[in-house]
Amino acid sequence: MEFLGKIVIAGLMNGSIYGLVAIGFVLVYKSSSVLNFSQGYMLLLGAYIFWFFKASLKLDLLPSLLLALPSGFLMGIAIERITLRPLIGQPLISMITVTIFLSLVLEGLVSLIWGTYPLEQITVFGRGSGTVGSIVLTTENVCAFGVAFGAMVVLILFFRYTNLGLAMRGVAEGHQIVQSMGIGVRRIFSISWGIAGVAATIGGILMGTTLGFQLGLSHIGLLAIPAAFIGGLESPEGAILGGLLIGLIESVVSGYLGNAAGVPATFVVLILVMLIRPYGFFGLERIERV
Amino acid sequence: MLKLSNVEVKYAGVILVLRGVSLEIRGGKIVALLGSNGAGKTTTLKSISGLLHTELGEVTAGTIEYDGQRIDKLGPEEVAKKGIIQVMEGRQVLEHLTVEENLRLGGYIRKKKSLKQDLDMVYGYFPKLTRLRNSTSGYLSGGEQQMLAMGRAMMAHPKIMLLDEPSMGLAPLVVEEIYAIIERFNAEEATGILVVEQNARAALAVSEFAYVMENGRVVLDGSSAKLAENEDIKEFYLGLSKFGEKRSYRDVKHYKRRKRWL
Ligand SMILES: Nc1ncnc2c1ncn2[C@@H]1O[C@H](COP(=O)(O)OP(=O)(O)OP(=O)(O)O)[C@@H](O)[C@H]1O
Ligand SMILES: [Mg+2]
Repeated sequence: MEFLGKIVIAGLMNGSIYGLVAIGFVLVYKSSSVLNFSQGYMLLLGAYIFWFFKASLKLDLLPSLLLALPSGFLMGIAIERITLRPLIGQPLISMITVTIFLSLVLEGLVSLIWGTYPLEQITVFGRGSGTVGSIVLTTENVCAFGVAFGAMVVLILFFRYTNLGLAMRGVAEGHQIVQSMGIGVRRIFSISWGIAGVAATIGGILMGTTLGFQLGLSHIGLLAIPAAFIGGLESPEGAILGGLLIGLIESVVSGYLGNAAGVPATFVVLILVMLIRPYGFFGLERIERV
Repeated sequence: MLKLSNVEVKYAGVILVLRGVSLEIRGGKIVALLGSNGAGKTTTLKSISGLLHTELGEVTAGTIEYDGQRIDKLGPEEVAKKGIIQVMEGRQVLEHLTVEENLRLGGYIRKKKSLKQDLDMVYGYFPKLTRLRNSTSGYLSGGEQQMLAMGRAMMAHPKIMLLDEPSMGLAPLVVEEIYAIIERFNAEEATGILVVEQNARAALAVSEFAYVMENGRVVLDGSSAKLAENEDIKEFYLGLSKFGEKRSYRDVKHYKRRKRWL
Protein backbone atom coordinates (compact mmCIF):
# COMPACT_ATOMS: atom_id res chain seq x y z
CA MET A 1 0.00 0.00 0.00
CA GLU A 2 2.76 2.36 0.92
CA PHE A 3 4.59 1.43 -2.25
CA LEU A 4 1.50 2.06 -4.35
CA GLY A 5 0.94 5.43 -2.71
CA LYS A 6 4.49 6.37 -3.41
CA ILE A 7 4.41 5.52 -7.08
CA VAL A 8 1.01 7.11 -7.56
CA ILE A 9 2.29 10.35 -6.10
CA ALA A 10 5.44 10.18 -8.18
CA GLY A 11 3.31 9.51 -11.25
CA LEU A 12 1.03 12.47 -10.65
CA MET A 13 4.01 14.72 -10.09
CA ASN A 14 5.66 13.74 -13.34
CA GLY A 15 2.27 13.75 -15.01
CA SER A 16 1.64 17.36 -14.12
CA ILE A 17 4.88 18.26 -15.88
CA TYR A 18 3.92 16.22 -18.95
CA GLY A 19 0.58 17.98 -18.91
CA LEU A 20 2.18 21.39 -18.80
CA VAL A 21 4.49 20.59 -21.70
CA ALA A 22 1.57 19.05 -23.58
CA ILE A 23 -0.37 22.31 -23.27
CA GLY A 24 2.39 24.00 -25.23
CA PHE A 25 2.13 21.30 -27.86
CA VAL A 26 -1.64 21.68 -28.06
CA LEU A 27 -1.39 25.43 -28.30
CA VAL A 28 0.89 25.35 -31.30
CA TYR A 29 -1.26 22.73 -32.95
CA LYS A 30 -4.44 24.66 -32.35
CA SER A 31 -3.24 27.90 -33.80
CA SER A 32 -1.21 26.65 -36.72
CA SER A 33 -2.03 22.93 -37.17
CA VAL A 34 1.67 22.16 -36.81
CA LEU A 35 2.60 19.18 -34.68
CA ASN A 36 5.71 20.46 -32.99
CA PHE A 37 7.90 17.43 -32.51
CA SER A 38 10.73 19.62 -31.31
CA GLN A 39 8.84 20.45 -28.12
CA GLY A 40 11.08 18.11 -26.11
CA TYR A 41 14.20 19.87 -27.32
CA MET A 42 12.73 23.26 -26.57
CA LEU A 43 12.33 21.88 -23.07
CA LEU A 44 15.95 20.83 -23.02
CA LEU A 45 17.22 24.18 -24.20
CA GLY A 46 14.92 26.05 -21.80
CA ALA A 47 16.14 23.97 -18.87
CA TYR A 48 19.78 24.57 -19.75
CA ILE A 49 19.22 28.29 -20.09
CA PHE A 50 17.79 28.31 -16.57
CA TRP A 51 20.73 26.29 -15.34
CA PHE A 52 23.04 28.85 -16.90
CA PHE A 53 21.44 31.67 -14.92
CA LYS A 54 21.19 29.69 -11.71
CA ALA A 55 24.48 27.76 -11.70
CA SER A 56 26.86 29.63 -13.99
CA LEU A 57 25.81 33.16 -13.06
CA LYS A 58 24.93 32.02 -9.49
CA LEU A 59 21.72 34.04 -9.41
CA ASP A 60 18.98 33.34 -6.89
CA LEU A 61 15.96 31.30 -7.79
CA LEU A 62 13.64 34.20 -8.51
CA PRO A 63 15.90 36.23 -10.78
CA SER A 64 16.89 33.04 -12.58
CA LEU A 65 13.26 32.29 -13.25
CA LEU A 66 12.53 35.88 -14.24
CA LEU A 67 15.28 35.62 -16.82
CA ALA A 68 14.64 32.05 -17.95
CA LEU A 69 10.93 32.34 -18.63
CA PRO A 70 11.14 35.32 -21.00
CA SER A 71 14.09 33.55 -22.63
CA GLY A 72 11.79 30.58 -23.16
CA PHE A 73 9.21 32.88 -24.69
CA LEU A 74 11.80 34.37 -27.02
CA MET A 75 13.10 30.91 -27.87
CA GLY A 76 9.61 29.90 -29.04
CA ILE A 77 9.14 33.07 -31.02
CA ALA A 78 12.57 32.79 -32.61
CA ILE A 79 12.00 29.20 -33.66
CA GLU A 80 8.71 30.13 -35.29
CA ARG A 81 10.17 33.17 -37.00
CA ILE A 82 13.30 31.48 -38.34
CA THR A 83 12.13 28.05 -39.31
CA LEU A 84 8.37 27.97 -39.74
CA ARG A 85 7.21 31.39 -40.84
CA PRO A 86 9.01 31.16 -44.17
CA LEU A 87 7.06 27.96 -44.76
CA ILE A 88 3.59 29.40 -44.22
CA GLY A 89 1.51 28.29 -47.14
CA GLN A 90 3.66 25.22 -47.79
CA PRO A 91 2.17 21.80 -47.14
CA LEU A 92 1.78 21.08 -43.45
CA ILE A 93 3.78 17.92 -43.76
CA SER A 94 6.88 19.92 -44.64
CA MET A 95 6.43 22.11 -41.58
CA ILE A 96 6.08 19.05 -39.40
CA THR A 97 9.16 17.48 -40.91
CA VAL A 98 11.05 20.67 -40.20
CA THR A 99 10.17 20.42 -36.51
CA ILE A 100 11.72 16.94 -36.42
CA PHE A 101 14.99 18.17 -37.86
CA LEU A 102 14.81 21.18 -35.62
CA SER A 103 15.06 18.74 -32.71
CA LEU A 104 18.47 17.65 -33.91
CA VAL A 105 19.59 21.22 -34.37
CA LEU A 106 18.49 22.21 -30.87
CA GLU A 107 20.16 19.19 -29.33
CA GLY A 108 23.30 19.98 -31.30
CA LEU A 109 23.21 23.54 -30.08
CA VAL A 110 22.90 22.45 -26.47
CA SER A 111 25.77 19.96 -26.76
CA LEU A 112 27.89 22.55 -28.50
CA ILE A 113 27.49 25.05 -25.70
CA TRP A 114 27.28 22.83 -22.62
CA GLY A 115 28.77 19.55 -23.80
CA THR A 116 27.11 16.15 -23.65
CA TYR A 117 27.70 15.25 -20.00
CA PRO A 118 25.08 15.94 -17.36
CA LEU A 119 25.51 19.34 -15.77
CA GLU A 120 26.38 19.87 -12.15
CA GLN A 121 23.38 19.06 -9.96
CA ILE A 122 21.73 22.12 -8.40
CA THR A 123 19.03 22.48 -5.81
CA VAL A 124 16.28 24.69 -7.04
CA PHE A 125 13.62 24.80 -4.38
CA GLY A 126 15.50 23.61 -1.31
CA ARG A 127 16.62 20.39 0.32
CA GLY A 128 13.98 19.67 2.91
CA SER A 129 11.63 16.74 3.07
CA GLY A 130 8.61 15.68 5.05
CA THR A 131 6.31 12.73 5.39
CA VAL A 132 2.64 12.23 4.73
CA GLY A 133 1.65 9.08 6.52
CA SER A 134 4.58 6.88 5.73
CA ILE A 135 5.35 8.47 2.38
CA VAL A 136 8.39 10.70 2.12
CA LEU A 137 8.01 13.86 0.05
CA THR A 138 10.95 16.09 -0.82
CA THR A 139 10.61 19.82 -1.05
CA GLU A 140 11.88 19.66 -4.61
CA ASN A 141 9.12 17.30 -5.66
CA VAL A 142 6.31 19.08 -3.90
CA CYS A 143 7.37 22.45 -5.26
CA ALA A 144 7.76 21.03 -8.75
CA PHE A 145 4.25 19.68 -8.59
CA GLY A 146 2.90 22.97 -7.26
CA VAL A 147 4.59 25.03 -9.94
CA ALA A 148 3.50 22.71 -12.76
CA PHE A 149 -0.06 22.71 -11.55
CA GLY A 150 -0.10 26.43 -10.94
CA ALA A 151 1.25 27.09 -14.43
CA MET A 152 -1.40 24.87 -15.95
CA VAL A 153 -4.18 26.61 -14.11
CA VAL A 154 -2.86 30.00 -15.18
CA LEU A 155 -2.77 28.88 -18.81
CA ILE A 156 -6.30 27.49 -18.71
CA LEU A 157 -7.65 30.68 -17.16
CA PHE A 158 -5.77 32.64 -19.77
CA PHE A 159 -7.48 30.75 -22.61
CA ARG A 160 -10.90 30.96 -21.08
CA TYR A 161 -11.05 34.50 -19.92
CA THR A 162 -8.62 36.82 -21.64
CA ASN A 163 -9.20 38.38 -25.04
CA LEU A 164 -5.86 37.15 -26.28
CA GLY A 165 -6.65 33.61 -25.18
CA LEU A 166 -9.99 33.86 -26.91
CA ALA A 167 -8.29 35.13 -30.05
CA MET A 168 -6.01 32.10 -29.94
CA ARG A 169 -8.97 29.79 -29.82
CA GLY A 170 -10.52 31.75 -32.67
CA VAL A 171 -7.43 31.44 -34.82
CA ALA A 172 -7.60 27.70 -34.27
CA GLU A 173 -11.03 27.68 -35.93
CA GLY A 174 -10.45 29.65 -39.07
CA HIS A 175 -7.72 32.00 -40.13
CA GLN A 176 -9.69 33.98 -42.67
CA ILE A 177 -12.62 34.63 -40.37
CA VAL A 178 -10.34 35.90 -37.66
CA GLN A 179 -8.45 38.09 -40.09
CA SER A 180 -11.70 39.59 -41.28
CA MET A 181 -12.19 40.82 -37.72
CA GLY A 182 -8.85 42.59 -37.76
CA ILE A 183 -6.96 40.06 -35.65
CA GLY A 184 -3.38 39.48 -36.79
CA VAL A 185 -2.96 35.77 -37.30
CA ARG A 186 0.82 35.92 -37.48
CA ARG A 187 1.07 37.69 -34.20
CA ILE A 188 -1.11 35.00 -32.65
CA PHE A 189 1.14 32.28 -34.11
CA SER A 190 4.15 33.96 -32.60
CA ILE A 191 2.58 34.26 -29.20
CA SER A 192 1.47 30.62 -29.28
CA TRP A 193 5.02 29.53 -29.93
CA GLY A 194 6.22 31.87 -27.23
CA ILE A 195 3.87 30.35 -24.70
CA ALA A 196 4.84 26.86 -25.84
CA GLY A 197 8.44 27.89 -25.20
CA VAL A 198 7.60 29.08 -21.69
CA ALA A 199 5.65 25.92 -20.88
CA ALA A 200 8.55 23.82 -22.15
CA THR A 201 11.04 25.83 -20.13
CA ILE A 202 9.08 25.46 -16.91
CA GLY A 203 8.68 21.75 -17.59
CA GLY A 204 12.40 21.47 -18.26
CA ILE A 205 13.36 23.28 -15.05
CA LEU A 206 11.06 21.10 -12.97
CA MET A 207 12.29 17.89 -14.53
CA GLY A 208 15.86 19.09 -14.22
CA THR A 209 15.42 19.55 -10.48
CA THR A 210 14.41 15.93 -10.04
CA LEU A 211 16.26 14.13 -12.83
CA GLY A 212 19.27 16.41 -13.17
CA PHE A 213 20.11 18.70 -16.05
CA GLN A 214 21.10 16.30 -18.82
CA LEU A 215 20.37 15.67 -22.48
CA GLY A 216 17.87 12.95 -21.60
CA LEU A 217 15.41 15.65 -20.50
CA SER A 218 14.27 15.94 -24.09
CA HIS A 219 12.52 12.58 -23.73
CA ILE A 220 10.01 14.17 -21.38
CA GLY A 221 8.85 16.19 -24.34
CA LEU A 222 8.24 12.97 -26.22
CA LEU A 223 5.93 11.78 -23.47
CA ALA A 224 4.01 15.04 -23.69
CA ILE A 225 2.99 14.12 -27.22
CA PRO A 226 0.89 11.07 -26.32
CA ALA A 227 -0.47 13.11 -23.43
CA ALA A 228 -1.73 15.69 -25.90
CA PHE A 229 -3.22 13.04 -28.17
CA ILE A 230 -5.01 11.29 -25.34
CA GLY A 231 -6.50 14.53 -24.10
CA GLY A 232 -7.60 15.49 -27.59
CA LEU A 233 -5.19 17.59 -29.58
CA GLU A 234 -7.24 20.76 -29.37
CA SER A 235 -7.90 20.83 -25.67
CA PRO A 236 -5.58 22.34 -23.06
CA GLU A 237 -7.71 20.78 -20.31
CA GLY A 238 -7.42 17.47 -22.11
CA ALA A 239 -3.67 17.87 -22.24
CA ILE A 240 -3.56 18.10 -18.45
CA LEU A 241 -5.66 15.01 -18.07
CA GLY A 242 -3.58 13.18 -20.65
CA GLY A 243 -0.39 14.26 -18.89
CA LEU A 244 -1.56 13.01 -15.50
CA LEU A 245 -2.71 9.75 -17.02
CA ILE A 246 0.56 9.16 -18.83
CA GLY A 247 2.54 10.03 -15.70
CA LEU A 248 0.46 7.69 -13.59
CA ILE A 249 0.65 4.76 -15.97
CA GLU A 250 4.35 5.19 -16.49
CA SER A 251 5.04 5.31 -12.80
CA VAL A 252 2.77 2.45 -11.77
CA VAL A 253 3.91 0.13 -14.53
CA SER A 254 7.56 0.97 -13.91
CA GLY A 255 7.04 0.36 -10.22
CA TYR A 256 5.61 -3.10 -10.62
CA LEU A 257 7.17 -4.36 -13.83
CA GLY A 258 10.47 -2.55 -13.86
CA ASN A 259 11.62 0.73 -15.33
CA ALA A 260 11.85 -0.45 -18.90
CA ALA A 261 8.13 -1.23 -19.05
CA GLY A 262 6.90 2.27 -18.19
CA VAL A 263 7.17 4.05 -21.50
CA PRO A 264 5.94 1.17 -23.67
CA ALA A 265 2.91 0.93 -21.41
CA THR A 266 2.02 4.54 -22.08
CA PHE A 267 2.07 3.85 -25.79
CA VAL A 268 -0.21 0.87 -25.40
CA VAL A 269 -2.64 3.15 -23.59
CA LEU A 270 -2.27 5.78 -26.30
CA ILE A 271 -3.20 3.27 -28.97
CA LEU A 272 -6.16 1.98 -26.97
CA VAL A 273 -7.47 5.49 -26.46
CA MET A 274 -7.03 6.32 -30.13
CA LEU A 275 -9.04 3.24 -31.05
CA ILE A 276 -11.89 4.04 -28.72
CA ARG A 277 -11.92 7.83 -29.00
CA PRO A 278 -10.15 8.98 -32.14
CA TYR A 279 -10.43 12.63 -31.09
CA GLY A 280 -9.04 11.92 -27.62
CA PHE A 281 -11.08 12.68 -24.54
CA PHE A 282 -11.70 16.36 -25.12
CA GLY A 283 -10.84 16.79 -28.78
CA LEU A 284 -13.15 18.81 -30.97
CA GLU A 285 -15.37 16.73 -33.15
CA ARG A 286 -16.22 18.14 -36.51
CA ILE A 287 -19.53 19.89 -36.46
CA GLU A 288 -21.56 18.54 -39.33
CA ARG A 289 -24.90 20.11 -39.95
CA VAL A 290 -26.82 20.81 -43.06
CA MET B 1 -15.92 57.75 -48.71
CA LEU B 2 -14.78 54.46 -50.22
CA LYS B 3 -13.86 54.65 -53.85
CA LEU B 4 -12.77 51.97 -56.29
CA SER B 5 -11.32 53.22 -59.58
CA ASN B 6 -10.75 50.80 -62.44
CA VAL B 7 -9.79 48.00 -60.13
CA GLU B 8 -8.30 45.00 -61.80
CA VAL B 9 -7.75 41.84 -59.76
CA LYS B 10 -5.77 38.74 -60.59
CA TYR B 11 -5.58 35.53 -58.64
CA ALA B 12 -2.26 33.70 -58.60
CA GLY B 13 -0.87 36.27 -61.00
CA VAL B 14 -2.73 34.89 -63.99
CA ILE B 15 -6.46 34.50 -63.41
CA LEU B 16 -7.97 37.86 -64.30
CA VAL B 17 -11.22 38.22 -62.37
CA LEU B 18 -11.98 41.92 -62.07
CA ARG B 19 -11.50 43.88 -65.29
CA GLY B 20 -11.73 47.47 -64.19
CA VAL B 21 -14.38 47.92 -61.53
CA SER B 22 -15.29 51.42 -60.40
CA LEU B 23 -17.73 52.13 -57.63
CA GLU B 24 -18.13 54.30 -54.59
CA ILE B 25 -19.91 54.40 -51.27
CA ARG B 26 -20.50 57.69 -49.57
CA GLY B 27 -20.58 57.72 -45.79
CA GLY B 28 -23.61 56.21 -44.18
CA LYS B 29 -25.34 54.99 -47.34
CA ILE B 30 -26.45 51.53 -48.34
CA VAL B 31 -25.18 50.50 -51.74
CA ALA B 32 -26.08 47.23 -53.46
CA LEU B 33 -23.84 45.20 -55.72
CA LEU B 34 -25.75 42.73 -57.86
CA GLY B 35 -24.63 40.12 -60.33
CA SER B 36 -24.92 36.47 -61.18
CA ASN B 37 -22.65 33.67 -59.99
CA GLY B 38 -19.02 34.20 -60.72
CA ALA B 39 -19.45 37.84 -61.72
CA GLY B 40 -16.76 38.89 -59.27
CA LYS B 41 -18.85 40.35 -56.43
CA THR B 42 -17.09 38.53 -53.65
CA THR B 43 -13.75 39.30 -55.22
CA THR B 44 -14.68 42.98 -55.21
CA LEU B 45 -15.42 42.85 -51.48
CA LYS B 46 -12.21 40.96 -50.77
CA SER B 47 -10.20 43.48 -52.72
CA ILE B 48 -11.56 46.16 -50.42
CA SER B 49 -11.18 44.27 -47.15
CA GLY B 50 -7.72 42.98 -47.99
CA LEU B 51 -8.79 39.36 -47.64
CA LEU B 52 -7.69 38.98 -51.24
CA HIS B 53 -4.12 38.80 -50.03
CA THR B 54 -4.91 35.66 -48.06
CA GLU B 55 -5.92 33.93 -51.30
CA LEU B 56 -2.99 34.86 -53.51
CA GLY B 57 -5.08 37.56 -55.12
CA GLU B 58 -3.80 41.01 -55.95
CA VAL B 59 -5.05 44.34 -57.19
CA THR B 60 -2.97 44.64 -60.35
CA ALA B 61 -4.30 47.93 -61.65
CA GLY B 62 -6.52 50.76 -60.48
CA THR B 63 -6.86 52.03 -56.93
CA ILE B 64 -8.99 51.58 -53.86
CA GLU B 65 -9.18 54.63 -51.66
CA TYR B 66 -10.78 55.15 -48.31
CA ASP B 67 -11.07 58.74 -47.13
CA GLY B 68 -8.41 59.70 -49.63
CA GLN B 69 -5.88 57.04 -48.60
CA ARG B 70 -5.00 54.05 -50.70
CA ILE B 71 -5.86 50.80 -49.01
CA ASP B 72 -5.40 48.27 -51.79
CA LYS B 73 -1.97 47.17 -50.57
CA LEU B 74 -3.04 46.80 -46.94
CA GLY B 75 -3.58 43.45 -45.26
CA PRO B 76 -6.98 42.52 -43.84
CA GLU B 77 -6.05 43.45 -40.28
CA GLU B 78 -5.08 46.96 -41.21
CA VAL B 79 -8.18 47.50 -43.31
CA ALA B 80 -10.34 46.23 -40.47
CA LYS B 81 -8.62 48.64 -38.11
CA LYS B 82 -9.53 51.48 -40.45
CA GLY B 83 -13.16 50.57 -39.85
CA ILE B 84 -14.01 48.46 -42.88
CA ILE B 85 -15.31 45.06 -41.88
CA GLN B 86 -16.35 42.30 -44.24
CA VAL B 87 -19.05 39.81 -43.33
CA MET B 88 -18.07 36.84 -45.42
CA GLU B 89 -20.34 34.80 -47.62
CA GLY B 90 -21.85 31.65 -46.16
CA ARG B 91 -22.31 32.51 -42.46
CA GLN B 92 -18.79 32.08 -41.32
CA VAL B 93 -18.91 31.54 -37.59
CA LEU B 94 -16.18 30.18 -35.36
CA GLU B 95 -17.98 26.90 -34.86
CA HIS B 96 -16.63 25.65 -31.59
CA LEU B 97 -16.87 28.98 -29.84
CA THR B 98 -20.08 30.11 -28.24
CA VAL B 99 -22.22 32.89 -29.65
CA GLU B 100 -20.95 35.35 -27.10
CA GLU B 101 -17.33 34.37 -27.65
CA ASN B 102 -17.79 35.00 -31.36
CA LEU B 103 -19.18 38.42 -30.56
CA ARG B 104 -16.39 39.21 -28.13
CA LEU B 105 -13.84 38.42 -30.81
CA GLY B 106 -15.70 40.66 -33.22
CA GLY B 107 -15.04 43.47 -30.76
CA TYR B 108 -11.37 42.54 -30.37
CA ILE B 109 -10.16 45.62 -32.22
CA ARG B 110 -12.71 48.08 -30.94
CA LYS B 111 -11.54 51.12 -29.09
CA LYS B 112 -11.91 50.51 -25.39
CA LYS B 113 -15.60 50.86 -24.78
CA SER B 114 -17.67 48.81 -22.47
CA LEU B 115 -17.91 45.28 -23.79
CA LYS B 116 -21.26 44.81 -22.15
CA GLN B 117 -22.69 47.86 -23.84
CA ASP B 118 -21.59 46.58 -27.25
CA LEU B 119 -22.97 43.13 -26.59
CA ASP B 120 -26.26 44.68 -25.56
CA MET B 121 -26.29 46.69 -28.75
CA VAL B 122 -25.94 43.51 -30.81
CA TYR B 123 -28.51 41.64 -28.73
CA GLY B 124 -30.76 44.62 -29.27
CA TYR B 125 -30.56 44.14 -33.03
CA PHE B 126 -30.74 40.37 -32.82
CA PRO B 127 -32.88 39.46 -29.80
CA LYS B 128 -32.75 35.82 -30.91
CA LEU B 129 -29.06 35.68 -30.11
CA THR B 130 -29.62 36.64 -26.48
CA ARG B 131 -31.12 33.30 -25.65
CA LEU B 132 -28.37 31.52 -27.57
CA ARG B 133 -25.46 33.43 -26.08
CA ASN B 134 -23.88 30.37 -24.48
CA SER B 135 -24.64 27.92 -27.28
CA THR B 136 -21.94 26.51 -29.51
CA SER B 137 -22.30 28.55 -32.66
CA GLY B 138 -21.69 25.61 -35.00
CA TYR B 139 -25.08 24.20 -34.04
CA LEU B 140 -27.09 27.33 -34.73
CA SER B 141 -29.54 27.42 -37.63
CA GLY B 142 -28.49 29.09 -40.86
CA GLY B 143 -30.44 32.25 -40.10
CA GLU B 144 -29.04 32.46 -36.61
CA GLN B 145 -25.52 32.01 -37.91
CA GLN B 146 -26.03 34.79 -40.43
CA MET B 147 -27.23 37.01 -37.61
CA LEU B 148 -24.20 36.07 -35.55
CA ALA B 149 -21.81 36.82 -38.39
CA MET B 150 -23.40 40.24 -38.82
CA GLY B 151 -23.55 40.89 -35.11
CA ARG B 152 -19.89 40.04 -34.83
CA ALA B 153 -19.08 42.67 -37.43
CA MET B 154 -21.27 45.19 -35.62
CA MET B 155 -19.17 44.68 -32.49
CA ALA B 156 -16.27 46.42 -34.24
CA HIS B 157 -18.38 49.54 -34.83
CA PRO B 158 -17.45 49.59 -38.51
CA LYS B 159 -17.64 52.73 -40.57
CA ILE B 160 -18.29 50.56 -43.58
CA MET B 161 -19.67 47.05 -43.53
CA LEU B 162 -19.19 44.79 -46.52
CA LEU B 163 -22.00 42.26 -46.51
CA ASP B 164 -21.70 39.26 -48.78
CA GLU B 165 -25.03 37.64 -49.68
CA PRO B 166 -26.76 37.85 -46.33
CA SER B 167 -29.83 36.19 -47.81
CA MET B 168 -28.04 33.12 -49.13
CA GLY B 169 -30.02 29.96 -48.47
CA LEU B 170 -32.43 31.56 -46.03
CA ALA B 171 -36.23 31.40 -45.94
CA PRO B 172 -38.03 34.52 -47.25
CA LEU B 173 -39.22 35.53 -43.80
CA VAL B 174 -35.74 35.36 -42.37
CA VAL B 175 -34.40 37.36 -45.31
CA GLU B 176 -36.97 40.03 -44.58
CA GLU B 177 -36.03 40.07 -40.93
CA ILE B 178 -32.33 40.40 -41.71
CA TYR B 179 -32.85 43.19 -44.21
CA ALA B 180 -35.00 45.10 -41.76
CA ILE B 181 -32.12 44.91 -39.30
CA ILE B 182 -29.62 46.04 -41.94
CA GLU B 183 -31.75 49.09 -42.58
CA ARG B 184 -32.09 49.86 -38.89
CA PHE B 185 -28.41 49.42 -38.19
CA ASN B 186 -27.54 51.71 -41.08
CA ALA B 187 -29.95 54.35 -39.89
CA GLU B 188 -28.99 54.21 -36.21
CA GLU B 189 -25.24 53.76 -36.39
CA ALA B 190 -24.63 55.65 -39.64
CA THR B 191 -22.58 52.75 -40.94
CA GLY B 192 -22.09 52.64 -44.69
CA ILE B 193 -23.05 49.26 -46.09
CA LEU B 194 -22.03 47.65 -49.35
CA VAL B 195 -24.29 44.66 -49.76
CA VAL B 196 -23.67 41.98 -52.36
CA GLU B 197 -26.75 40.09 -53.41
CA GLN B 198 -28.33 37.68 -55.82
CA ASN B 199 -31.64 38.51 -54.20
CA ALA B 200 -32.01 41.82 -55.99
CA ARG B 201 -35.46 42.54 -54.67
CA ALA B 202 -34.33 42.64 -51.07
CA ALA B 203 -31.16 44.57 -51.81
CA LEU B 204 -32.77 47.15 -54.06
CA ALA B 205 -35.48 47.77 -51.51
CA VAL B 206 -33.06 48.92 -48.81
CA SER B 207 -30.29 50.51 -50.87
CA GLU B 208 -30.01 53.95 -52.32
CA PHE B 209 -27.73 53.16 -55.18
CA ALA B 210 -26.84 49.93 -56.95
CA TYR B 211 -24.30 48.47 -59.31
CA VAL B 212 -24.71 45.43 -61.51
CA MET B 213 -21.66 43.30 -62.31
CA GLU B 214 -21.11 40.83 -65.08
CA ASN B 215 -17.90 39.08 -65.91
CA GLY B 216 -15.69 41.22 -63.74
CA ARG B 217 -17.11 44.55 -64.90
CA VAL B 218 -19.77 46.93 -63.74
CA VAL B 219 -22.32 46.90 -66.55
CA LEU B 220 -25.06 48.99 -65.05
CA ASP B 221 -25.49 51.43 -62.20
CA GLY B 222 -28.04 53.88 -60.96
CA SER B 223 -30.33 54.72 -58.11
CA SER B 224 -31.93 51.62 -56.71
CA ALA B 225 -35.41 52.92 -57.40
CA LYS B 226 -34.52 53.38 -61.03
CA LEU B 227 -32.81 50.03 -61.35
CA ALA B 228 -35.82 48.31 -59.85
CA GLU B 229 -37.78 49.62 -62.84
CA ASN B 230 -35.15 48.61 -65.36
CA GLU B 231 -36.41 45.95 -67.79
CA ASP B 232 -33.26 43.86 -67.71
CA ILE B 233 -33.10 43.87 -63.96
CA LYS B 234 -36.73 42.98 -63.73
CA GLU B 235 -36.23 40.08 -65.98
CA PHE B 236 -32.98 38.65 -64.67
CA TYR B 237 -33.15 39.41 -61.01
CA LEU B 238 -36.69 40.16 -60.05
CA GLY B 239 -38.55 37.82 -62.34
CA LEU B 240 -38.84 34.10 -62.41
CA SER B 241 -35.88 33.86 -64.67
CA LYS B 242 -33.77 31.69 -62.43
CA PHE B 243 -36.01 28.95 -61.26
CA GLY B 244 -39.16 29.64 -63.30
CA GLU B 245 -40.76 27.00 -65.42
CA LYS B 246 -40.12 28.81 -68.65
CA ARG B 247 -36.50 28.49 -68.02
CA SER B 248 -35.25 27.36 -71.40
CA TYR B 249 -36.95 30.23 -73.16
CA ARG B 250 -35.63 32.83 -70.86
CA ASP B 251 -32.15 31.49 -70.97
CA VAL B 252 -31.98 32.37 -74.62
CA LYS B 253 -33.19 35.90 -74.07
CA HIS B 254 -31.00 36.22 -71.01
CA TYR B 255 -28.01 35.40 -73.07
CA LYS B 256 -28.87 37.94 -75.76
CA ARG B 257 -29.51 40.72 -73.32
CA ARG B 258 -26.36 40.01 -71.49
CA LYS B 259 -24.42 40.34 -74.68
CA ARG B 260 -25.86 43.74 -75.17
CA TRP B 261 -24.59 44.87 -71.83
CA LEU B 262 -21.03 43.93 -72.41
N1 LIG C 1 -9.11 32.30 -54.68
C1 LIG C 1 -9.39 32.23 -56.00
N2 LIG C 1 -8.48 31.75 -56.86
C2 LIG C 1 -8.76 31.69 -58.18
N3 LIG C 1 -9.90 32.07 -58.73
C3 LIG C 1 -10.86 32.56 -57.93
C4 LIG C 1 -10.65 32.67 -56.52
N4 LIG C 1 -11.76 33.19 -55.98
C5 LIG C 1 -12.61 33.40 -56.98
N5 LIG C 1 -12.09 33.03 -58.17
C6 LIG C 1 -12.73 33.13 -59.47
O1 LIG C 1 -13.15 34.45 -59.67
C7 LIG C 1 -14.40 34.50 -60.29
C8 LIG C 1 -15.33 35.40 -59.52
O2 LIG C 1 -15.54 34.84 -58.25
P1 LIG C 1 -16.36 35.57 -57.11
O3 LIG C 1 -16.34 34.69 -55.94
O4 LIG C 1 -15.86 36.94 -56.95
O5 LIG C 1 -17.82 35.61 -57.75
P2 LIG C 1 -19.19 36.06 -57.12
O6 LIG C 1 -19.72 37.13 -57.97
O7 LIG C 1 -19.05 36.35 -55.69
O8 LIG C 1 -20.06 34.76 -57.32
P3 LIG C 1 -21.17 34.09 -56.36
O9 LIG C 1 -22.41 34.85 -56.55
O10 LIG C 1 -21.28 32.71 -56.88
O11 LIG C 1 -20.64 34.14 -54.97
C9 LIG C 1 -14.89 33.07 -60.40
O12 LIG C 1 -14.75 32.66 -61.74
C10 LIG C 1 -14.00 32.30 -59.50
O13 LIG C 1 -13.74 31.03 -60.02
MG1 LIG D 1 -19.71 35.48 -53.97
